[in-house]
This record gives sequence, structure tokens and C-alpha cells, in this order.
Amino acid sequence: MALDPAVDLLPALLDSPFREGYVSSIVYVSLYVSVIAVSLSTLVSVPVAIVMGFVDFRGKQFVKSVINTGMGFPSVVVGLLVLFAVSNQGPLGSLELIFTKEAMIMSQFVLATPPITAISLAAVTGVEGNVRDAARVLGGTRLDVALVVIKEARYGIATAVLAGFGRAISEVGSVLIVGGNITSSDGISKTRTLTTAVQLEARQGRYETAMVLGAVLVAIVLLVNAVVVRLGDTGGMGR
Amino acid sequence: MIRLSNVSHTYGDGPVLEDLSMSVDPGEVLAIIGPSGVGKTTLLRVLALFVRPSSGTTELDGRAVWSVGESERLALRRRIGMVFQEASLFDASVVRNVEYGLRVRESWRERLRSQFRSVLGSNGTSEAVEEALEVVDLDDSLEQDADSLSGGEAQRVSFARALAYDPKYLMLDEPTSDLDPRNTGLIEDAIGTARERGIGVVVATHDMHQAERIADRVGVLLGDGFSEIGPTERVFEDPTDDRTRKFISGELVY
Repeated sequence: MALDPAVDLLPALLDSPFREGYVSSIVYVSLYVSVIAVSLSTLVSVPVAIVMGFVDFRGKQFVKSVINTGMGFPSVVVGLLVLFAVSNQGPLGSLELIFTKEAMIMSQFVLATPPITAISLAAVTGVEGNVRDAARVLGGTRLDVALVVIKEARYGIATAVLAGFGRAISEVGSVLIVGGNITSSDGISKTRTLTTAVQLEARQGRYETAMVLGAVLVAIVLLVNAVVVRLGDTGGMGR
Repeated sequence: MIRLSNVSHTYGDGPVLEDLSMSVDPGEVLAIIGPSGVGKTTLLRVLALFVRPSSGTTELDGRAVWSVGESERLALRRRIGMVFQEASLFDASVVRNVEYGLRVRESWRERLRSQFRSVLGSNGTSEAVEEALEVVDLDDSLEQDADSLSGGEAQRVSFARALAYDPKYLMLDEPTSDLDPRNTGLIEDAIGTARERGIGVVVATHDMHQAERIADRVGVLLGDGFSEIGPTERVFEDPTDDRTRKFISGELVY
């Protein structure tokens, strides 16, 4: 009796660790979400760090402790809060963001902002006072002094951004909650990231796929860490 | 002329300057001598319009500096250069450091344009930068990284950086206290060049021989203001104030 090739091929296709476009679409979603979240976070964090490094205001210590607490904030709780915000009854319900990449970007933004701000702040306050004074006595405006500080702290700020990226891309709890780990019917990732995919594949016993995805994730994280270490070691890659 | 009238300044735990009056003219070198912790640095910071004194007036070329608006004060501030005890160079090449004062005086459009040119590698070094580095004998180190310089070279770059934008007044806060004789000599020569260019130089120092060598006038700062201020020779050879005499002869004043 002849077998229906479609019936025959289906399990093989599902079992294969390299379904057409599956891995690459997951890598794409992971990078897309993390890069956008970290970019937005950088736009907020670095100016905040600079203002905090320059201006003394009441409650500054409190803001610092909030940022430091944020660095250790459990990601699943962040996911839960974002889920409430974007759910139908939530304040952002009308935007219909639930189980979308945009919701994942929101939660990763919340997670990446504290470490980027804290490490940038350390870098900015590490710029010696006499360098700031020099910029001012040489005729710099406040903006010029701020630019000098950014330039002097550039490697520390770059380290902060890469550390934030490391946190975002290897994060699993919140993206699982707000993204839903969804693929389309043809197996292409919609909101499935490397981390959530590894979790799912391992749970379903598809260890080869989990290993491949895990290896890709490790490679990305190692690459980012190598850049961080290099920046820290050499003070930069030429100037 | 920079003129301080009845200036007092207080930091947290007490007065640093008390009822102090003085002036500096373009083209003269005024040395401020006095023991450590007497307020020489604070006085220089007041003269550089960097610190607003707690009371009294600071005038620059006839304008009361702290009564004018922010933008006019910036323009006044830009007539003054300052060199700190530590070189405080930016993490960049020598030429980038020295041209900084010129850059911040350009419009944003000009700054963007020169930034663009420097990316393309077609940005020539300006004459003022080369001249300023010549004054401190470092015109062959343009592209060197600032952090690869010796302490003496870094301080000379710091001097050139303040000279490059052609200030009318120059405040030097113990510029040679950490330097060897050769670098000290080069900085002292540069101070001479600045005077020839008509720049009014105020140099704080605890090296009385240096003050004698380079200054037209000397101010002796002893705790509560100047015990004496006048022509160098007169102050050193015939001080009218008893405490000045004791300080110059090396006896403890307080």
C-alpha cells in the first residue's frame, strides 16, 4: 500500500532540528526585540545617568536605590506587570499589544534600563572632576561639559549598553509571559525567542533543536561579553 | 583689567578669603605666594570667574561679572584661561586637547563641519594650535595620545591648551609644583611669552624663587587676605609688613 507522502513527511519535518526558516526566524525575533529595547533604553538611561551625575537634587539617593533595586528585579514580575498593562482591561489594552513583539520590547526595556542607567552613572561619576573643570575653564558651556563627560565615559557607557543587551537577550521569564512564545502555522517565529524556544524544545524532548538554539544564544552572549571585556581591558579600540 | 573688590568667600567650615581687593592688568605677571591651604586656589578660581564669591564684586574689563546675564558672563569667562596644578587633559590626542578651547568657541555648524572633516582625515591643524604648542616646545607631538605623555609634557600641553584661544588673562595654579627643573623652565619661559603677548598672568606658587624670577608684582596671601601686594623687588627686599618679612625669611607666620 502506497503511503501518502504528506502524512509520511509531516512527522519527519516536525522532528527535524532545522525546519526551514525556524531557527533563523527565532534568532531574528530575539535580536529584533533586544536591539530595539536596548536602543530605546539607552536613549533614556544615558541622559538620566548624565543628569544624575551632574545635578544634585533632593531624593537623588532614593532614585539611585530604585535603579539599583531595578537591576535585581525579577523578570517574571516585570512580565506580569507589562501583561496587565497591555491586556484588554489594562491601560494599554486598546493598542492590542498582547502577545506581540512590541509587548516584549516593552518588558525588555523595563529590564534593561536599570543596569544601563546604573553602569552609565558609575562611568559618568568616574570622570574626574578636574576634567570637567578643565572643559569649563576652557570656555565650554554646560552642554560642552556634558559632551566631554560622555566622551570621557564612552567605554563605560558602551559597557553599560552591552551589559543591558546581555540581560535582554538571555532573559526568558517576561518575554514568555508577554510574548506567548508563538510561531505561525508554517513554523516561523512570531514571538518566539531563543530563550523561550530552548525552554519549549527541551520540555518537548527535542534536545537537538534545543542544543542548536542554545548554542546560538551562547555564541551571541559570548560575543557581546568579549566586546565588553575588550572595552574594559584596553580602554577602547583606538581613538 | 580684572578687579576684585572686598571679596570674601566661605566654604562649609569657615572663610577662605576675607575682604580681599586686588587687580590684574593685561601684560603683567602677578605671583600669589603663601602657605598651603591659605586660599590661593580659591582666589584663582574667583579670578577665573569659575567661583562666585560669597560677597564682594568681581569686575572684568569694567563689567561686574556676577551681575550680567549668563551669556554675557560666558563671553567674559572666555577671555580667561586657567591651568590647574594637575594637567587634567582629555582622553584624546595632544592636538585635540589643545584645539578644544577653539572648538567650543565655534558655532555648532562649524563644529560639525570640522568633525566631518576630521573623520575624512582632511582636517589640518590650525595655526593657533601649532603656535601654542611651539611656545611649550611640543610642536612635534601633535598626534600623540595625552595619556602617553610624561607629567611635565602633560602640564605643558595643558598650558598650550589655555594659550591656544588667545585669552586676555591666564590663571596658573601652582603649574610647576610637580615638575622637574627642565619642565619648570619651559613653563616659566612660556609665562614670559604670554606676558609679551599682552596677557595678564596670575600664578599661584609656593616657590618664592620662582615668584622672584617671573613676576612683575607679588601678592603675599597669609590667612586673612594680602599682607602685602606690590612690585616683586620691593616686596622681597623691603617688605613693609612684619608678617610678610617673617614669611619671606622662612619663619612660621601662624
